[in-house]
Amino acid sequence: MPMKGRFPVRRTLQYLSQGDVIFKSSVKVMTVNYNSAGELSEGARKFVFFNIPQIQYKNPWVQIMLFRNMTPSPFLRFYLDNGEQVLVDVEDKTNREITEHIKKILGKSKETLEKEERERRKLSHPATFGPKKYHLRECICEVEGQIPCPAVVPLPKEMRGKYKAAVKDEA
Amino acid sequence: PAWGPRLVPARGRKTRHDPPAKSKASRLKVPPPVDPEELLVVIERYRQHRLVLGALRAEFRAEVLQKRREALMSQDGSAELLEEHQRLMAWNEEENARQRARREERLRKEEEEQKRQKLQAAETRARKMEALLKEKEKEVLQLQEEAKSFITPENLEARIEECLDNPRNYNFAIDKEGRIVRRTVLP
Repeated sequence: MPMKGRFPVRRTLQYLSQGDVIFKSSVKVMTVNYNSAGELSEGARKFVFFNIPQIQYKNPWVQIMLFRNMTPSPFLRFYLDNGEQVLVDVEDKTNREITEHIKKILGKSKETLEKEERERRKLSHPATFGPKKYHLRECICEVEGQIPCPAVVPLPKEMRGKYKAAVKDEA
Repeated sequence: PAWGPRLVPARGRKTRHDPPAKSKASRLKVPPPVDPEELLVVIERYRQHRLVLGALRAEFRAEVLQKRREALMSQDGSAELLEEHQRLMAWNEEENARQRARREERLRKEEEEQKRQKLQAAETRARKMEALLKEKEKEVLQLQEEAKSFITPENLEARIEECLDNPRNYNFAIDKEGRIVRRTVLP
């Protein structure tokens, strides 16, 4: 399959999952105004090119809009659900600085993420058996070191119910 | 129900349009016999069972909803989060102010630079104009000087006489080293 685009690495799952900006649940819309030309917009351009796919991957429910060549200087604007608007000036900043900045002001902190992770783990018990959608395993035969599935490898005679019943009848 | 999803019609050999068999002409369809006391007892038992189950289900449903609502409340409006948010917004404002200061600084510098450039350009232009004027002046003076030795109709005769009197010899020889020799004699 051919690689598409100038930096096809941006389309790989590994790259996308490396994005570390996860917005708080109150952020609904992110708007980026930047210019296609000019030294000062360089950081914003790189941010749009490299970091926005990562952000969108991690925040699929946040709407991101890009506006080109509408204002003389580049900036970001966040619209929260209580109507508040947060303006971030990004003129003359590198894309790394921009990501750090928005992570600091509107990203979920590490403690929050860990807490959520713990909550999620509490919901599902790893020792239960059932459909693959909700549990790890469906049958004990899937575990390494246990008896293989009798559908694939027949059980030895001594373990089968019909043999044991026959022996009991005989005795 | 007669036509439930698990009840497949078991008509067998005949379709619905075939007449029933002669042996079935005197068949009387009789519903299954019912014992009234047993029926009452069974109905009562079922009623109680369903009541209990419904109540249990409602109980569990309420509990789950309660838990969900409580989780939402604890997560949403807590003073700590709001205060944190305010702090971060303030920091963002400061950052913006700093950026503004930097930008103004830059713009000011650029303006100064431009002004300087303009002045420089004006100066160089002025100097060039001056130089040009001087050149022109020099040329005019030179021409004036030369005009003194021009040939006019008045001194035409005198100049001709002068030229005829002093013949000029333009002949010369030159060798490869560049030494010139004027030995030809005019007749």
